[in-house]
Amino acid sequence: MSAVLLLGLRILAAVVLYGFVGSALSMLWLSLRQQSTLVSNRKVIPLTLTIQTDDVPTRVLKFTETTEIVIGRDPDCECLLEDSTISARHARLTFHHNQWWLEDLQSTNGTRLNDEMLGTATIVVSADQIRCGQTTLTVNLETNGVAHG
Amino acid sequence: MPAFNFKPQYLPPAEIHSRLLKLAALFLSLNAAMLSLAPVARSRSWDLSLLRWSHWGGLALWLLAAWLAQRQFTRHTPDADPYLLPIAALLAGWGMLSIWRLSNGFGLRQAAWLTVSMTVFLTGLRTPLNLDILRRYKYLILTSGLLLTALTLFFGTNPGGAGPRLWLGCCGLYLQPSEPLKLLLIIYLAAYFASRLPIRTHLLPLLFPTLLLTGLALTILLIQRDLGTASIFIFLYAAIVYLASAKRRLLGISLGLLAAAALTGYFTIDLIRLRIDAWLNPWADPSGNSYQIIQSILAVASGGIDGRGLGMGAPGLVPVAQSDFIFTTISEEFGLLGTFALFILLAILIVRGFIIAIRAGSNFRRLLAAGIATYFGAQSILIIGGNLRLLPLTGVTLPFVSYGGSSLLTSFLALLILTQVSSELEAEPISLPQPGPYLHIAALLCIGLAAGTLANGWWAIWRADDLLARTDNPRRSIADRFVPRGSLLDRQNQAITITQGEAGHFTRLTLAPDLSPLIGYTHPIYGQAGLEQSLDPYLRGLQGLPALDIWWEHLLYGQPPAGLNVRLSLDLGIQAAADRLLGKHAGAIVLVNARSGEILASASHPTYNANLLDNLGETLTNAPGSPLVNRAMQVLYPSTAAVTPLFLAEYGTTSLTNAEQVQLFEKLRFYHTPDLRLPASPASPAGKTEPGLSPMQMSVAAAALSNAGLCPALQLVMAVDIPGQGWVVLPPDGRPEQCLDQQGVIELLKGIPGPFWQFTSQSKVGSGGAVTWLIGGTRPGWQGTPLGVVILLEEDAPGLAQSLGMDLLEAAIK
Repeated sequence: MSAVLLLGLRILAAVVLYGFVGSALSMLWLSLRQQSTLVSNRKVIPLTLTIQTDDVPTRVLKFTETTEIVIGRDPDCECLLEDSTISARHARLTFHHNQWWLEDLQSTNGTRLNDEMLGTATIVVSADQIRCGQTTLTVNLETNGVAHG
Repeated sequence: MPAFNFKPQYLPPAEIHSRLLKLAALFLSLNAAMLSLAPVARSRSWDLSLLRWSHWGGLALWLLAAWLAQRQFTRHTPDADPYLLPIAALLAGWGMLSIWRLSNGFGLRQAAWLTVSMTVFLTGLRTPLNLDILRRYKYLILTSGLLLTALTLFFGTNPGGAGPRLWLGCCGLYLQPSEPLKLLLIIYLAAYFASRLPIRTHLLPLLFPTLLLTGLALTILLIQRDLGTASIFIFLYAAIVYLASAKRRLLGISLGLLAAAALTGYFTIDLIRLRIDAWLNPWADPSGNSYQIIQSILAVASGGIDGRGLGMGAPGLVPVAQSDFIFTTISEEFGLLGTFALFILLAILIVRGFIIAIRAGSNFRRLLAAGIATYFGAQSILIIGGNLRLLPLTGVTLPFVSYGGSSLLTSFLALLILTQVSSELEAEPISLPQPGPYLHIAALLCIGLAAGTLANGWWAIWRADDLLARTDNPRRSIADRFVPRGSLLDRQNQAITITQGEAGHFTRLTLAPDLSPLIGYTHPIYGQAGLEQSLDPYLRGLQGLPALDIWWEHLLYGQPPAGLNVRLSLDLGIQAAADRLLGKHAGAIVLVNARSGEILASASHPTYNANLLDNLGETLTNAPGSPLVNRAMQVLYPSTAAVTPLFLAEYGTTSLTNAEQVQLFEKLRFYHTPDLRLPASPASPAGKTEPGLSPMQMSVAAAALSNAGLCPALQLVMAVDIPGQGWVVLPPDGRPEQCLDQQGVIELLKGIPGPFWQFTSQSKVGSGGAVTWLIGGTRPGWQGTPLGVVILLEEDAPGLAQSLGMDLLEAAIK
């Protein structure tokens, strides 16, 4: 019967219609995955901090995966400094827009970058000196061999 | 299929665009093939001369436009959003074919408008039109739109002839200015608020100019009674103000205002009251004010889950199916499966619109994109909700899908702006301090679509069976023309009522027209009555056949299988004698086989001819003597004197206590409605002395007197002819029971000479009228089939009754 042929067409049309919907949704999903891969592929530039305080031997801290480093006396801080002139949460280094940024966390004695009082968040580069209280931290960025973005 | 490969890989937008357009083209081509084949399938033949071809022209235009769009996308706007156009094109093509299915003329016009719209869209994309021009001339744009709309107040016409005059027409072309006005309002509001962001001042001075202009637009629309567009305006205004200001209070105030406006309108404007009443309680007036909405949900129910297939349903039964009810058309022919896909596509369109808005490079573009996405969503929800009785019905179009040049062109212009905003996306979108409103509006619209899906499922699955069984479902009458209805036969398999003609033109013919009060009729306008009504499931093939057969026929045609023949206990020869004898006298005759309870004849006069229902129609309802009433079953007559022979048979005396009477009447089942699969009036309440009796009830007592006090169970419908099984007997409801004292019956009838006994009696009715009862039958010990007869005459004529009774019994024993 011709109606059976029509039924076949109806089934095919429904399959194609859902093919359209499915393709649209799967390609949306794909682009979502694509974006997230793109974002996750952005490698953090490893950052090394050389910490010098007057009476304590020099320490070197290396951060490879972290995108946020809080400097302070609080035990939760990624960069823990035993210095009474430093606030509990003193300053913060964050990685975004493919740069490391330094900002002061409203510390009592303030943060200096290369001997200048830090006002707003500022980009740091290799050999920059961060001064928190009595402590000096020298920044070193490993830029060679790392894909930027 | 690479699309289902979830490994992240780079898929350029042009590739997405191309894939989606190809799938859309395939879907539409399959639909076009379906539409070509549908008339052939409906005729249940291979008659290829019935094939429809004209719509392929429209599809060719669509394919050309899609090919150009793909070329254009690759060359000129490779960064634009690749989902917008394929979805819009699919919707527009789907709408065009659905419109073509309803009417070739409308389809052709829609194809022409689609070509114009696509040309404008593609040209617009090639011309680097700076959106900021729109921003600069916002007042000019809105004012000219308002002027055009205001012109309809003076020069408005309606292309359909009657109805609201919302169009400006010239030379066969019509423009509905309120359609582009929506887009112009969005442009104006987006431009106005973008220049005043962030909003920190007092709201009222800020809103004043927009309130003034929107209010002006609303006034024009309200004067024009264009309520749907007015609702869209209020919603768009509230949404854009909320998006711009992020003040939730405003959204609440606007919704409150909308509700207040609806309430005020309800009490002051008749049209709004009609619409809202029809929405709240459509069943009150299904053939009047609620006709459209009832027909719409009937169509949705007919579509069910799988749909009837393009060209196989009957969506044309809904008025203005091509524009206001295009969703209903799609719902009937593509089912819930099709509309669910439609809902998802609309949701993707809306969400993409909001993503474009959030990523836009300026506040103007952001508000513009969000406003357009809101416009698509709100208008779709308003009309789909109206079609599904989720919202009051308003006459707006479904964007891209509905018939109408102004609507289609406006939708594509809005899409053009959205695409342009998406292709100008900058790497860093402008900051959005409060993204909440964008998420809220998008979520609100998606919830609206989800509610639409649920409502669709409610009518298409949950309520479908009840709806489709309604007698005002015209699909039943259509099925009657295409599917042979079962015949009604007498006890010797002689036809009483048959279906004649050929598929597509079947008609019903009663060969024994005098039996019409009993047989009844099935008629597209007057519905059903009598046995045609009570045996409808068998005659229509919905009962008695394997469920799989019924399902398969429904899947293929949306119609039941061929109906089954039903055999009745009537004897056409005796029946003809009864009808001849009763002649012009008002009354009823029932003759039963006293042993088996089979009804051999049942006459009711005055009678009518069911074959002439088309011409007689309404006059029958009020005709003198009420010929539509089956007096044998549907009237209870006073029986005070008629029951005395029964008292004598049971108790030997006529002076009985009330308790004794009630006990006897209970045994004779005088307080019960005989179950003969026939419409009957309810029996007198139990315990009533002097109960009113129908001739059919009395015939049980007559049979008991002829059958030594044994009351048979009456039977009218004997058997049904099921293919593969033959005649399957339908047993009577109940068993024979001793209801009169056997010795008493013999004692009562022994002195009567001849082969037959008879008692007549008269009862007074009302002021001056009287009825005559005759009960009679064959003597006890009669060698042939024992018979019981009841004759009721609506006049005082015992002599006539006696001669009728004798003649009938004589005729019956021959």
